[in-house]
Amino acid sequence: MTPSNVGRLRVMGAAIRGAHVVEGVLPSSFDEVWGVMGDLEGGFGDFQPDMRSLRVLRVDGDRVEALARSRYGLRAHFHGVLRPGWGWLQSRFLVVGMAADAMGDGRTRVALTGGVRVPGRPALVPIGARGELERAMRRLGERVP
Amino acid sequence: MPPADHADRGVGRGVGLGADRGVERRVDRGVALARAARRGDTLALHDLLDHLTPYIARICRSIALDDGPDATQEALVAVFTSLRSLRDPEALYGWVRGISVREAVRVAKRAARARPAELADVPERGDPQLAADIDDVLSRLSPQHRAVLVLRDVEGLDEESAAAVLGVPAGTAKSRLHRARQSFRKAWNG
Repeated sequence: MTPSNVGRLRVMGAAIRGAHVVEGVLPSSFDEVWGVMGDLEGGFGDFQPDMRSLRVLRVDGDRVEALARSRYGLRAHFHGVLRPGWGWLQSRFLVVGMAADAMGDGRTRVALTGGVRVPGRPALVPIGARGELERAMRRLGERVP
Repeated sequence: MPPADHADRGVGRGVGLGADRGVERRVDRGVALARAARRGDTLALHDLLDHLTPYIARICRSIALDDGPDATQEALVAVFTSLRSLRDPEALYGWVRGISVREAVRVAKRAARARPAELADVPERGDPQLAADIDDVLSRLSPQHRAVLVLRDVEGLDEESAAAVLGVPAGTAKSRLHRARQSFRKAWNG
């Protein structure tokens, strides 16, 4: 009876001013799609734009702590949650949200959100965010088997 | 789900002191998460979503029945969109309950308009197997009647508070409750 992962991401997007949620349907199974998205040290860094590498520092249940490096050498220390079909990561300056649901016909619905945080309130800098998310969605599609 | 425990107290099921403390802790957690979320901590916002979803889903299912999942999604979006307008985080649960009830009634009414033919499918009252099914009995009530039953008999609100949540005068809530209980008993007894 609980909302789907994509539905939950829409709720998060609604709560955060300036956040865009980009959705798509990939012609691959949930396991194949999540195998890329949820692989923080592998596929995740490949499809997220500007992410050169990500190293998981700690895992405690569904809680994760990770260190990311951008292509420009910037570092981000993320804290967040990773569950099958769901990921939410936050650093001091960045937010990354992702969701995936099996559609029951062999395809997978996916959704992405995130961007640069506005200090002091639940908001993201809206400029350029949609383009980045759409680029991430395209890259994800290219990387899913 | 703190308000569920609160509801238990409301109908006098004898919740002990330890359980009360547990309720307080969970309420405090919700309020603390709401405060942190409003300050911009999106991880707290995420945890608040986890924390409130079962409560909102329970209210929506009670009122919108089969359309409970749709109502839950719409109530969650409504709650989280307007979280920044919540003046007093201490009032979180009452505020969430109000939005959830209104969204559930709205979704249930919309669904009823979209599926008028199904009204003819309501099972016969004389069927003993179905008479035992509380969901079946509830499905014969209007969304407004289910809402007032949930607020008074499940959530344990007094008449005035229930009326405030529903946005109707206390007298209207009282007569709605009377009719809802009457319909429920009638349907239940077959």
